[in-house]
Amino acid sequence: MYPELQTLLYAAEERYLQDGDIEAFRQLLQSFQERMQAYEALRDNEATIFQRVANQLLEAYPKEQPERLERALKHWIAATRFASMAMLLNNAEYLERHLLEWLTEQVSAHQMQSIESTLHQLLEPRLRKVLSREQWETFQPYVEQIQAALLTPAPVA
Amino acid sequence: MIAVADLIKDSYLPGNYYAPDVYVQGDFEAGLIENRQGHRLLALPEALLEAVYAGLEDEIGPAAGLVLFRCGHWWGKSFYRRFIEEMNEYYHKPVAEMEMVELLQCMKQCWKTHGWGTFDLDLSYFQSGFLVAQTQNSTFAKSAKQDDRPQCFAEAGILSAFFSQLTGRSLHCVQTQCESMGADSNYFILGLPERLMPAEAGVEEKEGHAAIMTRLCPQQVENAEDASEALF
Repeated sequence: MYPELQTLLYAAEERYLQDGDIEAFRQLLQSFQERMQAYEALRDNEATIFQRVANQLLEAYPKEQPERLERALKHWIAATRFASMAMLLNNAEYLERHLLEWLTEQVSAHQMQSIESTLHQLLEPRLRKVLSREQWETFQPYVEQIQAALLTPAPVA
Repeated sequence: MIAVADLIKDSYLPGNYYAPDVYVQGDFEAGLIENRQGHRLLALPEALLEAVYAGLEDEIGPAAGLVLFRCGHWWGKSFYRRFIEEMNEYYHKPVAEMEMVELLQCMKQCWKTHGWGTFDLDLSYFQSGFLVAQTQNSTFAKSAKQDDRPQCFAEAGILSAFFSQLTGRSLHCVQTQCESMGADSNYFILGLPERLMPAEAGVEEKEGHAAIMTRLCPQQVENAEDASEALF
């Protein structure tokens, strides 16, 4: 759930919401509409975005096993889906709990950081293309969150 | 060419089954907490666990550890069955087809979401026939009395049953380090019972986890030390 909305709901357990709370609520609803539009743009363009990325990835790694490239693509398709939902909920913790903390070590174990890093570089311009500047600014922190989790080398034990 | 439409055609790219906000649900009208498959969960008060330890200690003394181990072992069999069923259903593939790293991630998340602390598995002794499990924030260690021997008997029982069924071999589990003794984590060694006898002797003689690993696989520990010296 929206963390801010949850805070307001908890506040309303004890009293009516104050004018400041109502204004915060109004802004949240407006922000929700904008996030919904960005979510729809990402959902509707998923295949187009990732087909372009897949083609470029094949060009970048012509000798790599296709299964490894497909695996990396699946990671980022899933990550983009979960990030889109996290953006809709305005909740970075959703992305962390529902995907990243489960996926990160799997990516690390397959030693695919180079492919994943290239994929991220190819993906970002495609995302910018389907999102407006404001929508990209809203979505970008979640992409950075994925990048930080999947592309940061695991510490040496 | 990679056809992305094929990759996303079933629209199913699963994430973390054990994400706590969806895993723990409930039929609050009926006073039930359930997991996302509808299996009942139970919040266990620490005071009850402390009472179990104390009650067993009073009634059967030194045999309490063995009883708790057996309880954990039975629990571990059911836990394994439920875990496997849920993994198969959620990830749409048999656990036998899952990669070890994927299965391990699921187990870590499962452990954490159930409130049992954190779990990790060290596979670096696998070639020597041992697995080393590490847990932190164990409620079993916290509820036990402070002693000069490890106290997570139920946890050791769960792990022995779980990994016996996973590997198809009858594995025993010996705890070598315990938070109840002031350590920062708990270590458990899994292996064939006869091969773990030196570990049990090491615990009796109050050796630390590292010393016990040296007993079990001296060559490997030596090599690991050489490698770490080379690294630094």
